[in-house]
Amino acid sequence: MTDELLKAATRASREENADDGGDGRFTRARVMASLHQGKLKRRTRLAFILPIAACLAAGTAWGAATGRLPAMFHAISEAVSYRSRQAPPKQGAASTAPSQKPAELAEDVPPPEIAEPPPPARQTKPGLARAEPSGSASKPTPALRSSAAFQDADGDLYRLAHEAHFDAHDYGRALAGWDAYLKAAPNGRLATEARYNRAICLLRLGRDAEARQALEPFASGKMGYRQTEARQLLDELSR
Amino acid sequence: MTSGGLVLSPTAPLDEASRDEQDLVARLVAADAAAVGEVYDQHHRAVRAFASRLVGDASAAEDLVHEVFVSLPRAMRGYRFESSLRTFLISIAVNHARHHVRAATRRRAALSRLAFEPEGRTTDPEQVQRRKELASLLTKALDTLPLEQRVTFVLCEVEERTSREVAEITGVPEGTVRTRLHHAKKKLREELSQEGIG
Repeated sequence: MTDELLKAATRASREENADDGGDGRFTRARVMASLHQGKLKRRTRLAFILPIAACLAAGTAWGAATGRLPAMFHAISEAVSYRSRQAPPKQGAASTAPSQKPAELAEDVPPPEIAEPPPPARQTKPGLARAEPSGSASKPTPALRSSAAFQDADGDLYRLAHEAHFDAHDYGRALAGWDAYLKAAPNGRLATEARYNRAICLLRLGRDAEARQALEPFASGKMGYRQTEARQLLDELSR
Repeated sequence: MTSGGLVLSPTAPLDEASRDEQDLVARLVAADAAAVGEVYDQHHRAVRAFASRLVGDASAAEDLVHEVFVSLPRAMRGYRFESSLRTFLISIAVNHARHHVRAATRRRAALSRLAFEPEGRTTDPEQVQRRKELASLLTKALDTLPLEQRVTFVLCEVEERTSREVAEITGVPEGTVRTRLHHAKKKLREELSQEGIG
């Protein structure tokens, strides 16, 4: 009997996870974004390391040629030992000096760079609809499309999520899309907007607790984006 | 089961096809994003199906698919044309699966502790619902297996691959594959009977 059940469960697993014809566009875009970022990282690393290595090599060669290499090593080791002697009081000062509270420190951190927020949707009706950004409002403008944010692969992710949300009104797919975009570009230029849209998707899907959590930073004004609408939505949710 | 790897047209001359494959592999090794995209378009469904069957969680499966294709250019340096590209992709998925299987297992355990299951489709007919339950039952039972046995069971029984192919993917002798499968089945039967369903 267990053997039959195992066979049935195996068959069920095979059929349940069969190729469902899904095109996997989000994951494809995520893969492309990751590859693009990897390439950028490698280039940046090279751009820093090559000049430093060249300077070191040239300096060493010059020092060896002019016989100043020992003097250079001496000067460097002196400088290093001087710094290490200076380091402990510095750390001590750092640990005692700050009288700022963590919250104050957090406020000192500059807010993440965000896209220019689109104008708030017109508030004609109470409820969810008034706080959701309209498709045209949050649709990337031609200027944004041509900007750096949209020249890389992250832009594809944003567009896919945007289409699912505002054109297809498929909030499940849109949520996956916003998540994929935020995974690929957590500090991207449109990350704030994507986070807000994600919160709206959660609301639309009836995942109120998660939506509340996602809207809190907006309502508190930390995100500097759609504070009033987020506040109204939270009020609606708490009724 | 469909044949894995680069699907060659029956009329295409073999040397031309293999040249295409070699070109593609060379582009992959050079981390050409377009080449990765091509391979993704050809094989993502097979990789996703395997990932879903192995981890039993759609979101973790997507993460695994993502990781497979992102790591492909680096992994291609070890590709020796001994297996099809699809088989090679599955073997990359096997190598990256550990973390994802663990994460999905933890998530399932937490969900069952909270007596909360993700919402299913309410309009499904009874048979589809039964199939979902059976698949979920197997996934939970698979969570109790060591990763090697889990991979072997999914490849041999769920994906119906030959032991030779599984040996190629997992990089162990066929005898080891059969032993792992035997132990996996034994343990799964025990798990199912402990659930009181057998």
